[in-house]
Amino acid sequence: MKALTQRLAFIGWSARYVWSAWAGAAGLFCLAAAWQAGHEFYGSFILPSPLETLQTLSVIIHEPAFVQAAKETAERSLAGFLLAVGFGTTAGAIAGYSFAAMRLMRPIVTVILGVPPIAWIVLALIWFGSTGGSAVMTVVVAALPISFAGGLEGVATRDRALDAMARSFGAGGWMRFRTVTLPHLISYLFPAWTTTAGTAWKITVMAELLSNSGGIGGELATARALFDIPRVMALIVAVVVFALVTEYVLLQPLRDRLERWREAGLPWGIKR
Amino acid sequence: MKLALEGVGHSFLGRAVFENIDLSLRAGEVVALIGPSGCGKTTVLQIAAGLIEPLRGRVRRAYRRHAVVFQEPRLLPWMTARDNIAYGLRAAGTARGLRNEAAERRAAEVGLHLRDLDKYPAELSGGMRQRAAVARALAVDPDIVFFDEPFTAVDVGLKRVLQDLVIEAAVRDQFSALFVTHDLSEAVRVAHRLVVLAGGSGGLLADRLIEGRPGTRSDREIFGIVEAWSQDAEFRELFDGARESVS
Repeated sequence: MKALTQRLAFIGWSARYVWSAWAGAAGLFCLAAAWQAGHEFYGSFILPSPLETLQTLSVIIHEPAFVQAAKETAERSLAGFLLAVGFGTTAGAIAGYSFAAMRLMRPIVTVILGVPPIAWIVLALIWFGSTGGSAVMTVVVAALPISFAGGLEGVATRDRALDAMARSFGAGGWMRFRTVTLPHLISYLFPAWTTTAGTAWKITVMAELLSNSGGIGGELATARALFDIPRVMALIVAVVVFALVTEYVLLQPLRDRLERWREAGLPWGIKR
Repeated sequence: MKLALEGVGHSFLGRAVFENIDLSLRAGEVVALIGPSGCGKTTVLQIAAGLIEPLRGRVRRAYRRHAVVFQEPRLLPWMTARDNIAYGLRAAGTARGLRNEAAERRAAEVGLHLRDLDKYPAELSGGMRQRAAVARALAVDPDIVFFDEPFTAVDVGLKRVLQDLVIEAAVRDQFSALFVTHDLSEAVRVAHRLVVLAGGSGGLLADRLIEGRPGTRSDREIFGIVEAWSQDAEFRELFDGARESVS
């Protein structure tokens, strides 16, 4: 009985989630309409039409070279994402617990934030040469401050009254972290993580293009050299699709599952 | 003797809150701690519950478990009512099946429906949340329960119901309790003994037994006791807030 109600609740939730994609699709079609208008004004050479682009895309996804490049880019951005999120969140959480650590780390993060990503690419090129390492490093350095800020704010704003409640029942440090601090922290981390995921794709492609180290960025460089504009557009669309999939297929469902309690608190009519 | 505070004093940032407090709780005894606002009642309770260390004096404990009911319910918003009530048992390492069973039993005792147990605190009314907080404290089978002005935020009718619930539970489960309140009639209603804490970094002003047992005193008797004590010099501070703030 309980398993059945849980399954029903899951089906209901996933149906709602998929249904909400219609609204998102409507927004994307508005964008496509504007794109088409731009195409009709400037012509195919400057701005290929959405249809042309999709046709090119459907051709290139069958090329082994593209599949290889997409895999490389995906691996690099995933590695960069995981490292940035891992280090950033851990350092941020430590800074949230210890004010001394916070005073020490905050200026460092500000310095990292202040250096433009393009400068990091130059440094990474010198350190790693023309390999995936430079793309990964650039992603980590560019995306780390966001996770750091999320972790710091999340831990620093934890509810101390709830913490005292947990202590009054003799809960140990680990249990208090899991049950009191972590659920609160999650709501600060998710915006940081979704931003990081989007940034990771963009910066990987940029680093690849500039460091000439293969991947979709490398493909873009080649297409640009050949003035193959539909291919350039198709590659851009591919990267955008990857970013959308990461956010709406991987991160948002996870967030929805973890933050069900928040939805329960919303008054009638606000439920989405 | 379950709990004894001996010569306890505390200060925040060098400003003394109270000095030299001796207070003890016998088995099965409910002691009400009363005093004007800002006199350090909550601090005494937090010291007794081990949430803060006293700067002077010491606390002797001779019991297994205690529980605290705070002024706000302090339920975890990301857990259902059931998991919240079972929280203390989870901290004590009780198995999931046993703690769910205990949570359901205690929820029924405080008047929560089974169907409310799967709801999150945000979906419960204020009164239900405070009931859940009381159930969470009772669920660990405590030897001492510390109540920190638990029913200040609920309406008069519900306040009575919750007070009766506490009186009943104290008799049934034989726990001792320290009940902090600023309401003299509430203190007279729930406690065996009344202790008055002075404002302005003093110590304890008075320590009196209340006639009869909690739960057997009629409203008329309670009113009579409150009326008589409000004339008393030792209780004057409680009713004197207005005059003190003028001077």
